[in-house]
Amino acid sequence: MAVNPPVPDDPERLAQFNVRIAGGDQIEAGEWLPGQYRFEAQRLIQMHANSEIMGALPEREWIPRAPTLARKMALTAKVQDEVGHGMLLYRVAETLGRPREEMYAELVEGRARFHNVFHYPAETWADVAIIQVFVDGAAMQTQGALRSCSYAPYSRVLKRICYEEDFHIQLGLDVWRALAEGTPAQRAMLQDALNRWWTPIIHFFGMPDKVSPHTETMLAWRLKVKSNEELRQQFLRRFVPIILEYGLIVPDPGLRWVEAEQRYVYTEPDWEELKRVGRNGGPKSAERLALRQSFYRQHAWVREALSRWTPIAA
Amino acid sequence: MDESWVQTLQAAPDIWAVFLQARRRDAHVYVGDVHASDAEMALLLAKENYARRDPCVSLWVVPARDIRATSGDAAEMFAPVTDKSYRFGGSYRQQQRVYRGGYQTAAADGDETR
Repeated sequence: MAVNPPVPDDPERLAQFNVRIAGGDQIEAGEWLPGQYRFEAQRLIQMHANSEIMGALPEREWIPRAPTLARKMALTAKVQDEVGHGMLLYRVAETLGRPREEMYAELVEGRARFHNVFHYPAETWADVAIIQVFVDGAAMQTQGALRSCSYAPYSRVLKRICYEEDFHIQLGLDVWRALAEGTPAQRAMLQDALNRWWTPIIHFFGMPDKVSPHTETMLAWRLKVKSNEELRQQFLRRFVPIILEYGLIVPDPGLRWVEAEQRYVYTEPDWEELKRVGRNGGPKSAERLALRQSFYRQHAWVREALSRWTPIAA
Repeated sequence: MDESWVQTLQAAPDIWAVFLQARRRDAHVYVGDVHASDAEMALLLAKENYARRDPCVSLWVVPARDIRATSGDAAEMFAPVTDKSYRFGGSYRQQQRVYRGGYQTAAADGDETR
């Protein structure tokens, strides 16, 4: 990414900053920050913003094909929320020192990253249910935890995002219920979508964290609040019961609850796939980026017109 | 006037701060920013971004860099130097007990210190 690696900070200010964060304080935009903190926070929030924009695409494909008018309106509202989240997040990322245009250009040119799940196809209407329940549910674990992060503007935006994500999950559960209670063909479609999405969703939280000075720093600065594995376990505890409740099959035969350890054991996924997909090497990466690019070019005249617009003097 | 504790918010000229009033008689509350080339566009974008679900009866937009703010270091300026309890009604329990329970109850508490 184009942010320059940070230069070393004044040790005294850094120590004061660390004490402040350790005491539970949050930092406002414009306050002094260690270079490394700015770099990490900026990268985190930009990646989140990218994912909101790219995440709108697989669902957008289903707006014209939604089975009823009620579903079409609800899905449109959800997609609008996601794009709105992107807007809020780019603005927060901007307060850490990079203009929105630059970040957006980086995304559409394929030089930036976005979440692994948005590199996969949404083949059927059941995929929409899976995305709304499991992808938004997974995101909610991470974002819910980060509401207590140390960067106040991000934390405020996350509160609003989580509030809206809750609507998305409830909507998804309703689509899920309709399919699960439907015809054998609808149930089969839901099970098939679940099977295809299982691995990407297990991947979503990332590899179990290595014990490293970097992770320690991220946790100490509260730019990370829970470990990847903690978040994955939290997700499984909430969502595995939903799969079972509707009589569907968990696509991992190795998945089981270990009472003594209070955690789920699951089959180790292929982490190489996550790395490949994360580098924009997923089945839909190129196509979706090309779509973003074409719209970005087609709408250049709108941006141009808006930036030149001067109102008639009152 | 000493302005060392007064700061201007660092923002590009196209950044507008948005204030939303949820119901009549509520205060306008800062909810976030929009990028816009003029006030009308800012209000339109603010409506789409901040008022598409929850109640709203009025929006204000203001160029973010026209806002003057106390600096972060000035936070201690607001910290009470002395005990401020005398400014709160809750500090005056004795008369509340007299009023509610009669003089005998209050005297039995033996609370004469406040």
